[in-house]
Amino acid sequence: MTSFVFDLRRRDLLAGGAALAGLVAAGVPTAAQAQATTAMPQLDTAEADRLAAAFTGGAEVLAEGLALDLPALGDNPAAVPVRVHVTEPITEASWCEEMIVIADLNPQPFACRFRFTAETGSADVAVRVRLIQTMPIRAYARMNDGRVLAARHDITVAAGGCGL
Amino acid sequence: MARPPRIWISNETPSLGEIVRVRAQMVHVMESGFRIDAAGQTIPEDILTGFTASLGDAVLLEWSPETAISQNPYIEFTFAARQPGTLRMVWTDAGGVVAEAEKEIAVG
Repeated sequence: MTSFVFDLRRRDLLAGGAALAGLVAAGVPTAAQAQATTAMPQLDTAEADRLAAAFTGGAEVLAEGLALDLPALGDNPAAVPVRVHVTEPITEASWCEEMIVIADLNPQPFACRFRFTAETGSADVAVRVRLIQTMPIRAYARMNDGRVLAARHDITVAAGGCGL
Repeated sequence: MARPPRIWISNETPSLGEIVRVRAQMVHVMESGFRIDAAGQTIPEDILTGFTASLGDAVLLEWSPETAISQNPYIEFTFAARQPGTLRMVWTDAGGVVAEAEKEIAVG
C-alpha cells in the first residue's frame, strides 16, 4: 500500500512537471506572466467617442452601407477576427477613401486605419485584433463624396491572456 | 525578416475588373509597450506601423496598425484587377522595412 501511494505521487509529479515544461516550451503565459502588464481597459467610451469625432469631423454619420463582421464570441482575445467592408458598389466614381476601426475599451482604443484609392476598386479588409475585455467595436468609413458610414458590434471575449 | 510573409491570392490571372482577394500574414512580435519583464522593467513598444499594397504604380491599400493588432499581423484585402502588374506588399515598423513580397498579376 505504501508503495502504491508513493507511485501515485511520483506519477503526479512526473505528469505535472511534463505539462508545465510543455507550457513553457510552447510559450503559453503562466498566471504570473499574464499579470505582468500595465495595460488597463478604458473605464468608459469617452476616448473612443473622441477618436470617432476626430474622424467624422462633424459630418452626418450614416448607420448603413458598412458591414462589420465579428464572431459572437472571441474565444481567443489575442486574435479576434474583424472584417469591415463597404456594402454599396465601389465604382470609379464612388469609392471609399479611408476607414478606421475602434476597440472602445482597449487601453489604446484606436485599432487601425486603412486608406484606399480610386484604383483599389474595392473596400473590404480583415485583420485580427487583441481585446482586453468584452466591449463594443466600431468602424467608420469615409467615401470620396464626404459621406461617413458607420457600423458597430458588441463582442464578448474570453477572459485574460490577451497579450497586451 | 526571419521568415518571409505567407501570401494567398484568390486568382493570379483574373479577368478584367475581377475582384481579387489577398490574404497575407507576416512574423512580428507586436510588443504592446504595456508588458513588464521579470526584472520589473516595461518592455518597449515594438509594433508594425505600416503596410502598403500596390499594383504597378497604383497604391491599393495603406494600413496603419496600432497596439490592438495581434501578433504576427494578418491582413486581408480585395482589389479590382483593372490592369496587369506586380502586386507589391511592404511591411514597416519603427526600424524601417521588415518584410516585402511580390506577386505578378496577369489580367486576361
